[in-house]
Amino acid sequence: MTSGLRKDLPEAEPRHASCQTEVEVKHGVGLHARPSVAFTRLAKSFPCSIEVAVNGGDVWLNGKSIIKIMGARIRKGSILRIRADGILAKEAIRALKDLIERNFDEDKKHGRPA
Amino acid sequence: MADLLRLKATSASPGTASGPAYLAQQHRAPLAPRQGTASAKEALAAAIETAIGELERLAGSESAEGRDIIDFQVEVLRDPTIMETAGARIAAGMNAAFAWVGALDGYIHELEAAEEEHLRARAIDILDVKNRVLRALTGTRDEDFPAGSIFVGKDMEPSRFLAHDWSAGGGVALFNGSAVGHVALLARARSIPMVVGSGHFDIAEGCRVVVDGDAGAVVLEGVPEPPLSAVPRRAEASWRNGGTPDSGEVRTADGVPVRLTINLNEPAELDFIDPSTVAGIGLMRSEFAVTSITDAANEEMQLAIYRHVLEWAAGKPVTIRMLDIGGDKMLAGLEEPDSQSAMGMRGIRLLVARPEIARVQARALLRAATSGDLRVMLPMVTFPSEVDAMRQMFREEAAQFQRRSVPHHIPPIGMMVEVPAAALMLDEFATADFFSFGTNDLAQYIAAAARDSSDLAAYGDKARPALLRLLSQAMKLAGATPVSICGDMASDPRRLPELLAVGLRHFSVAPTQLPAIRSAIAGLNADGTRAAGE
Repeated sequence: MTSGLRKDLPEAEPRHASCQTEVEVKHGVGLHARPSVAFTRLAKSFPCSIEVAVNGGDVWLNGKSIIKIMGARIRKGSILRIRADGILAKEAIRALKDLIERNFDEDKKHGRPA
Repeated sequence: MADLLRLKATSASPGTASGPAYLAQQHRAPLAPRQGTASAKEALAAAIETAIGELERLAGSESAEGRDIIDFQVEVLRDPTIMETAGARIAAGMNAAFAWVGALDGYIHELEAAEEEHLRARAIDILDVKNRVLRALTGTRDEDFPAGSIFVGKDMEPSRFLAHDWSAGGGVALFNGSAVGHVALLARARSIPMVVGSGHFDIAEGCRVVVDGDAGAVVLEGVPEPPLSAVPRRAEASWRNGGTPDSGEVRTADGVPVRLTINLNEPAELDFIDPSTVAGIGLMRSEFAVTSITDAANEEMQLAIYRHVLEWAAGKPVTIRMLDIGGDKMLAGLEEPDSQSAMGMRGIRLLVARPEIARVQARALLRAATSGDLRVMLPMVTFPSEVDAMRQMFREEAAQFQRRSVPHHIPPIGMMVEVPAAALMLDEFATADFFSFGTNDLAQYIAAAARDSSDLAAYGDKARPALLRLLSQAMKLAGATPVSICGDMASDPRRLPELLAVGLRHFSVAPTQLPAIRSAIAGLNADGTRAAGE
């Protein structure tokens, strides 16, 4: 919805943006320790701010904080709204969404069905 | 043999030791300027980096499951919100260790209370990183001096004595110092020969020194000591097996029961004491077990120490005195300039002023109390309001444990009677569960003569009648509240007649003095007079 808000910014800052997406968590036990680590690590690799809101809530959590993400009790079927603001925001959103849709590479890692 | 030089000194702990001299001032590292908010944040950030480094090294040798836990822990250490919270606490003036603990404890408690088991299981992982960072924050302590050597210096910090490995013997020779100071007390408890007040003398590092703690002398020999391996290991405490298995329940010659407990400095001293020879521990000086600000912030470390002592006591009473910081006993890393005076912000005053320190200790004590007969003693109490303030902290922390379903028990809370203003008003201290006279401080305040000055030692002796009059009066004011004495005076058999005469029936003494006190009591009547035939 707010994706690409700043498309009209001058070319000098092409990668500064504000982005948002929505994604459903399909992981069996939700977003617990291992998937949370994968999520916050990836989030921290981007310079932009990243925030997460769960199931339509209006509390935005710091997406780089393992404590906040784990504390959010994200379960299978939870809808995550992820928003990013700053340098590489679009790329960050795409990468995080991919991670969740790939089920955090859990199946690959442990060679068992989800 | 080279020339011998014999210097007169004052005995602070009996026995004779010889070894190579270790010159304290040559090794004194300048104190790192760790003041201010910026450096506290930097110190915390550096400790976190150290902890991450340790974890990453550990990860190399771990299984996949182990690596998952370490990954999680590293991620917690890199959590931006935790650093924000801790930084805000530091900016508000909090010490880095307590700022860190405060930032994590909330999350730990939240996880512990979670309905989901896998979330609850994570609490221990965070607790683990919390303590790893605390250990890193302590950093490198002063370098220990070689085992078996003789410490030579102007004075010695208790933490220095405590950190040293005394298993190979050695001794202490101080130019200044005091026979009633805390290091002397520690030396006597560990049977380490020590002399004080020798005045300055010059000796080369490594040259042989003899400490004669019996006669009170230092003997200098102008020759280098043979390598340390040639130094024979001294026999540990000869009184070790001399105890009587009477559980510390003795009787005067006329049959009045007297209870004997011991004063404990460091838990390591318990290795040489048979619990069947004592009625328990009348005073554990926790500041000698918890010697740095990061230890003071570490609830689990303290809990383990207190539990160990309670388990040793096997059901007998153990009185743990809360941190008596201040005066000559400073907590490494604590910046509290007003507390270095014997009449400054010390003991309970400091604990009430720095509740973050007191509350961690209160929590460790509340949890330890389920492991035995624990009693908690407050140091340097002047007014009843101080007892009330601490009791309130115990209640509040207990309520938190209740909510978190953490096993705990509120122990009896008593107080040291070592400030004249308290001794004169004991009938006003209805909220104290017991009293214990700390005669070392009481004597120095009555005589207005600093206890750590060897020049003023005679003042304490001369003021003894005044001290005894105060004790006698305080005994009456105490009413039905149990009273004991744990000062050095109780460990001196010559003082027993006077102390029995004022009505004391519970003596907490240095373990080394237990046999002497036991036999002295058997020769005295309860009124302090010598028994017939003695």
